[in-house]
Amino acid sequence: MNGSHAEIFDDVAVYALGTLPEAEAIRMREHLETCEECRDEYEALAATVTAVARSAESCTDATNGAVYASPLLKARIMREVRAQSATKTAPATSAPKVRSLVWPAYAISAACLVIALGFGAVNLSLTNRLHHLEATQQEAATTRTVDDATVADLLNERAKRYIVPGGEVVRSNNHVYIAMDDMPQPPAGKVYQAWTQPKGSKVMVPGATFVPDRHGVAILPISSNASLLHAIAVSIEPPGGSKAPTTSPVVLELLE
Amino acid sequence: MTQDAGQLMERVRARDADAFEALYDAHHRVVYGLAARMLGDALAAEDVTQAVFLKIWTAPELFHGGNFAAWIVRLTRNRSLDVLRVRKSHGEAELPETLPEEEAVEDTAFANIDADNVRKALATLPPEQREPIELGFFGGITHDEIARRSGIPLGTVKTRIRMGLKKLRSALGTMVTV
Repeated sequence: MNGSHAEIFDDVAVYALGTLPEAEAIRMREHLETCEECRDEYEALAATVTAVARSAESCTDATNGAVYASPLLKARIMREVRAQSATKTAPATSAPKVRSLVWPAYAISAACLVIALGFGAVNLSLTNRLHHLEATQQEAATTRTVDDATVADLLNERAKRYIVPGGEVVRSNNHVYIAMDDMPQPPAGKVYQAWTQPKGSKVMVPGATFVPDRHGVAILPISSNASLLHAIAVSIEPPGGSKAPTTSPVVLELLE
Repeated sequence: MTQDAGQLMERVRARDADAFEALYDAHHRVVYGLAARMLGDALAAEDVTQAVFLKIWTAPELFHGGNFAAWIVRLTRNRSLDVLRVRKSHGEAELPETLPEEEAVEDTAFANIDADNVRKALATLPPEQREPIELGFFGGITHDEIARRSGIPLGTVKTRIRMGLKKLRSALGTMVTV
């Protein structure tokens, strides 16, 4: 781009498209501040470029492999937003331990959720989850689709939610889940293992092992009869899990 | 009653998470789709989408009014260009300058455009006009690089982009008005 107005005018389209190198873009920006003709041209073409972006809009579901933003992405974002919103608006007194709403109610395509039965965890990032499953085929022996009831449990606004380090424990419709969204990776060569303590018992019953995805997210179904449980815990264990906890719990929550 | 993006952004400034959620519902598909198209990577597209929307939440004052859709497209493209810059090894082609987000033009056309119609309109362009437009916008490369890759003179690239955008604007008809 040089100083000739005609040549600058010719560059307005490539500037609107966002393909000018930095130095030329700066000169164009300065020119647009003083040239009404080029400014009009730019505004007309910029609106069209915005429309070009719209052509890449993703689909509402993953049918036929369409580009599709997982609704679980929204869950992660809204969780952070609502947490910050609550922080901004909460009174100075201590925050309630049980939040009324963490997972916003939204339409969700249960067909896109996959659970690793052998591995026991449902990671929230679909792509990550698939990569992870691929990398742990020996542990994830099979997969199945999560049913709508499970998704509904996790999104239930009336669920009881216990805040724990890295996430929460969700008790919904007498089902219990560990739902983590900021859980560090376990040490190399280790996994997390869930434990349950039945009411009236002092023994921790071993549950599934799991690791969070790279966002620190994982959901672990714990029990379908919460009323029988006194507590749940998570500890760091060797791959395959242990028969009794070998480390101090990183999560320990009483359900009563 | 559905609120427009400007009204929702006013509520976001007041830390209204419900308003933010409404903005997400209305605009996440173009944000995610654009990032996915530019980066070719679902995970990276999720990261960009998350970064864009959390930016909106944490710094809503960056939106100075005007066309919210155009603004969020620029946020997304610029953020995706940042990712591409990190990916680029030394010696590769220069990436274009990010578009100033505050320059999102004052028009309301975008909100009324159906993505399918835009795709159809793009399909009406001759390939020699459509391809440099898509390569430049989604590929995140400069017009010089487009010329180099396609083996055609730089002036021809500029002309084809300009003609293509004008033809696209015409094809979109009344859906794009300033």
